[in-house]
Amino acid sequence: MTAEPTTRSKTLKRRPVAARSTSSDGSADQRASSSSQTRASDSPELDSPELNERRPRFRRLVRLGLSVLIVGHLLAVFLPPLAFQTRGPLGSSPSVETLLAPLRGYGQFLYIDRGYAFFAPDPGPSHLIGVAISDGSGEPREHMFPDLERQWPRLLYHRHFMLSEFLHEIHQPPGPPPELEEASPEEAEAWARARARFRRVHDSMVEHLEYKHPGKQVAIRRIEHAIPNFLEYMEDPIPLDDPRLYNVLLDRPRRPEGPPGDELPGGPPTDELPTDGLPGGPPEMLRLREEVAAP
Amino acid sequence: MNVASITAPVRDWASEAIGAWDRFWFTPRRPTTLCALRIATGLMLLYTHVVLASDLLSFLGPNAWIDNEVSRQLHSGAFGGAGDWGQSYLWYISSPAALWTHQIVTILVTLAFAAGFLTRISAPAAWFLQLMYLHRLTGALFGLDQIVTYAVMYLMIAPCGSRFSVDAWLRDHFHDRFGDRRWFHWLLPSPAPSVAANVATRLFQLHLCVMYLFGGLAKARGQMWWDGTAMWFAVGNYEYQSLDLTWIASYPRLFSILTHVTLFWEIFYCALVWPRLTRPVILAMAVAVHGGIALFLGMITFGTMMIIANMIFLKPEWLERWLGRGGDEPQRVEHAAAS
Repeated sequence: MTAEPTTRSKTLKRRPVAARSTSSDGSADQRASSSSQTRASDSPELDSPELNERRPRFRRLVRLGLSVLIVGHLLAVFLPPLAFQTRGPLGSSPSVETLLAPLRGYGQFLYIDRGYAFFAPDPGPSHLIGVAISDGSGEPREHMFPDLERQWPRLLYHRHFMLSEFLHEIHQPPGPPPELEEASPEEAEAWARARARFRRVHDSMVEHLEYKHPGKQVAIRRIEHAIPNFLEYMEDPIPLDDPRLYNVLLDRPRRPEGPPGDELPGGPPTDELPTDGLPGGPPEMLRLREEVAAP
Repeated sequence: MNVASITAPVRDWASEAIGAWDRFWFTPRRPTTLCALRIATGLMLLYTHVVLASDLLSFLGPNAWIDNEVSRQLHSGAFGGAGDWGQSYLWYISSPAALWTHQIVTILVTLAFAAGFLTRISAPAAWFLQLMYLHRLTGALFGLDQIVTYAVMYLMIAPCGSRFSVDAWLRDHFHDRFGDRRWFHWLLPSPAPSVAANVATRLFQLHLCVMYLFGGLAKARGQMWWDGTAMWFAVGNYEYQSLDLTWIASYPRLFSILTHVTLFWEIFYCALVWPRLTRPVILAMAVAVHGGIALFLGMITFGTMMIIANMIFLKPEWLERWLGRGGDEPQRVEHAAAS
C-alpha cells in the first residue's frame, strides 16, 4: 500500500500503539497499525530530522506540563487531611494553610477535601434522633432514627444514620453567654453563627417530618447511645439496645469554657415536646435518663 | 576538589530522579485493571443512585431532611467563613418532576458507564452528576461516597471502556467502516498500553495511600487504638452492628491484636503496598479489614468498595493471565521500583 500521506496518517504515525485496533476480547488486530506504518515509510517528510528533533522536545513539554498538573492534584489530595490533623486550639498550622489556600476550592469541588478520620481518633457512641409526633389528642408516637425496620436497604439506613450524626456534630448550645460577648465579640459571633447553623438544620428536619405527617406536631431531640466498655459488658452482658444505654442530650445553654454538663442556671431546654393536652405525663422518651453528653 | 566534582553527582542524581519520575508516571500501561474496576465502580455507583431514588424527596428538594435552602447555606458561608466551591445546581431544583427526571437521567448515565457504553462521555458525565449529588447531600454522606467518587474520577481519565464493554464491541463491529477516523479512535479507544491508563492508575494508588496514611494517623491520636479497646467499641456499637461480635469481649487479647494490626496496617500501607514482597500481604489485609467492616459493621457498600479500590494495585498482566487471555505481547516496561 502506497497511500499518500494525510493528516490522519500523521496522527496515526505519532501514536502507532494507540492506533492499533483490537477486538473486544483483547486480541491484537494489526490492520490499522500496519497500514499506518506503511503510510509512514512512504512519507519521508514524516521522518525528517527536524520533525524528529521536535518530537522529543514536545514530549518533554507534555511530560513537564502533565507533571505540574499531577503535583498540583496530589497536593490537593494530601493537604486537606494534613490540615485536618494539624488543627489545634489556636487554629490550623500556618504553613499548611498557606500551601492549601490556592488549592482549597479545587479540593472542595472535587470533594477531595476530606480528613479520612474513620472511627478516629476513637470509636465513640452513636447519636440518634428521637422523634415525637403528636396530633394533640393522645400520647405522642415516638420513634428513633436511624431505624433498620423503617429504613431499608442498609445504605438508606446509613444515610439516615449520617443525618443524625451530622446534627449532633454541628450542635452548638444556645447562646452566646453575655460574658463571652463582653470578653470576645469575635468568639461570640462565631458561637451565634454556629448556633444558627444548628437551628436551621434542626428546623429543616422538623419541617421534613411535619411534611411527612401533615397536621401533626413534631419535635426531635438528640440521643446518645452509649457503649459499655468490655469489662462492664463481661460483668453484665446487657443487650446493646438496653434502654439504660440511651441518654437524651438536652439543648441547654452552657458556660463557654465549661465542659458539657456545666450548664448555666435557668434557661429552659429548647427542645421540649409539646405537652398541651397530653394525658399521663411526659412521653416515655423523656423519662429516659437525661444527661448532657460526655466529651 | 573542584566545582565539577560537586555538581556532577548532583546532576546525576537529578537525572536519575527525573528518569524515575518519568518511568513511574509516563510508562504506558494496559487498561485491563481499570476496565474491570469500571464495571464494579459503575455498579456500586448505580446502586447508590437507585437506593437514593427509593426515598428521593426525603433527600432532595424543598421538603428534604436538609432542604435545598439550608443545604445551599451550608456551602455559601451563611454560617461563617467564606463560601466553598462545593456547589450544586440541585439546590435550585424544587419540582418533584424535575428531580425525578434528573434522577432517571443519572441512573441511565451511570448504567452506561458501568456497561462501558460511550465511556469517553458517560464516565465524566457520571462523575459530574455524582459531584452534584455530593454537594447537595451534605450531612447524609460517608466513606462510600468518597471512595466511589474518587474511583470514577480517576477512571474517567483513562480508556476504561476499552475492554469488557459495549464500546469494545462497537469498536470491533464498526472498525472497518470508521477505523480511519480520528473521532472513532477517541470515542472507542483501543486497550493498547497508554500513558493515560498509567497516570489514572498511579493517581488512584497514591490517593489510596493518602487515605490510609491519614486514617491511621488520625487513629494514632486517640487512646483506644493504642490501649487496644477500639475494636471492642466498634463491634459494640449497636447502630453499626450487622453481625453480633460482642463475644469478643471475652477475648481481650484477640480484639487488642486486631486493633493494633489495623492501626499499623493503615499507617504503613503507603510504604508496604509498593514492594512486590509485601504487596500481597497488604492487599490480603485490606480484604480482611474491609470484609470485616462489610460483614460485621453493617457497611457492606463501603467495605466492598474499598476492596474494589485496592484492586488498583493488581497488574493488568496478572488480571489478563487470571482471565486466561494473553492479549498482545506483554509490554515489559515495569521497573523494579515501579511495579
